[in-house]
Amino acid sequence: MTEPSLHINLGGLAMKNPVTVASGTFGYGSEYGHYFDVSLLGAVTVKSLSLKPRPGNRPPRISETPAGMLNAIGLQNVGIDVYLKEKLPYLREKNCTIIANIYGYSPEEYAELAQRLEKEGGADALEANLSCPNVHDAKNTCGPALVAQSPQRVKEYTETIRAATSLPLYIKLSPNVADIREPALAAQEGGADAVALINTLLGMNIDVETRKPCLSNIVGGLSGPAIRPVAVKMVWDAARVLNIPVLGMGGIYTADDAIQFLLAGATAVAVGCASFRRPDAALQVIRGMRDYCIRHGIEDIQKLTGALRLQ
Amino acid sequence: MIHLLDCKVLSNDEVAPGHRRLVLDGKAIAEDTCAGQFCMLESSPGLQPFLRRPMSIERFGGDSFSVLYKIVGEGTRLLGRIQPGDTVNVQGPLGNGFSIPKEFKRYILVGGGIGIAPLPGLAQALIRETGTPPEVILAARSRDILLCQEDFTRMNCPVFLVTDDGSAGMHGFASNALEARKPDKYTLVYTCGPMIMMGAVHRICMENGSRCQASLEANMACGDGVCMGCVVETTLQEEFRRMVRVCHEGPVFDSRDIRWNTGTPAHD
Repeated sequence: MTEPSLHINLGGLAMKNPVTVASGTFGYGSEYGHYFDVSLLGAVTVKSLSLKPRPGNRPPRISETPAGMLNAIGLQNVGIDVYLKEKLPYLREKNCTIIANIYGYSPEEYAELAQRLEKEGGADALEANLSCPNVHDAKNTCGPALVAQSPQRVKEYTETIRAATSLPLYIKLSPNVADIREPALAAQEGGADAVALINTLLGMNIDVETRKPCLSNIVGGLSGPAIRPVAVKMVWDAARVLNIPVLGMGGIYTADDAIQFLLAGATAVAVGCASFRRPDAALQVIRGMRDYCIRHGIEDIQKLTGALRLQ
Repeated sequence: MIHLLDCKVLSNDEVAPGHRRLVLDGKAIAEDTCAGQFCMLESSPGLQPFLRRPMSIERFGGDSFSVLYKIVGEGTRLLGRIQPGDTVNVQGPLGNGFSIPKEFKRYILVGGGIGIAPLPGLAQALIRETGTPPEVILAARSRDILLCQEDFTRMNCPVFLVTDDGSAGMHGFASNALEARKPDKYTLVYTCGPMIMMGAVHRICMENGSRCQASLEANMACGDGVCMGCVVETTLQEEFRRMVRVCHEGPVFDSRDIRWNTGTPAHD
């Protein structure tokens, strides 16, 4: 058969294939340039950027768990200035499609990050991280800890960022909610072009010999193949009520995992901490998805989105 | 250059109770390694354990390289069962190894327990660069786990043994043995071992005006500077350098840059 088309469009961003990487698991792209040509990815999603550099949480920050890991990094990052000056040139030179993940302490900070990234050509799309479980919002003295846990705040944040940029805007949501459809619909109402889900699940690991928590932050975010079924289910829930596309992620390790997300309703997927274990995991996922299309006679990968057979 | 290779296992023998040496066929990694660099090994082809294990590269050169490891958890237990002829996926060499500034008159290596692993390679590099075999302090809990002694004596290094229980050499800790060697401001000390030992070695160096390079260990997810999981706290002032990655800025640091009293990384 002819070569299958892997092209997709994620809320206004044309991608040559449906595979990006999860923010925080791929640095700023160049780190994985040793292992493969990162421009082969549908997009590179960079580590969360904040207005100022952040040192992050105290160690220990990671703890291994069954088929996964907990992290409490605390968004350590170089800040937007260093990103634009030192990290962006590599990605542009490689002709990568760039999704910039942004993190702020207020809607206005997100808006400022969005404006600067658009003006200075720092991104082709934005992913607003409203769901990091490892940093605390000092101004938020009541209500849920994460913006993504309050549909009202998701809508307000999304509206403010939306007004600041014409770049495709994705809202990254948290699985630590009772019903993922509520924040997903709130992001859509606020003007998002897509939702990205899921961020990590809150978890805890204890060293029984010392009786101490394995993370200095006590709790952290769980990722890895262990969380994949939860993520697929949340994509399934959200995609059925949304008119905007879903960027699905959570525990993708193989092409079959990625296909599950498409069948559940995702338009694109992100490979996360699998890259820690296999630096070329995202590339193998792309190759495997192409093979799946050939094996199943699918000419256009977009046909797989939401193509779950219920009988 | 960093490689990602399936390496054939040449041997995986016990070198002391609970300690093994894994020798792997991997010319590209062996050729590109500098003393003090490490690699990330897959301890199992499946998802359990999920993460690779960071290991100092011990011997390297020719077509093969080796790692020394102590069996402490699930990952190292699985590594212990690997047989010659099996393959292990290896990523490396990673990180910044030891540097050899020439302005010092004495070079002293202080290795504790399994932390001795990168030091024979360093001794070899020091002999090549300075023409003189460095002094070596080999520390361990007891006599049966003093590793690599024959490697150093073969290179004509003066070796000083020290054990916690007094079963071989001096009865005491690595830092006591270092103090007895009277390091001075013309001395560069290289150390690798438990954090508490390296902290004590650092203190002796500061008291005597010596410089010290320490090779740190930490739990890691990626080994590539990406996950930010393996950081240690520094004494540096700039906001973005308050935490440095063991895998990327290290694993070898100027001991003055490390905040020794806090943030001791857990060993796995």
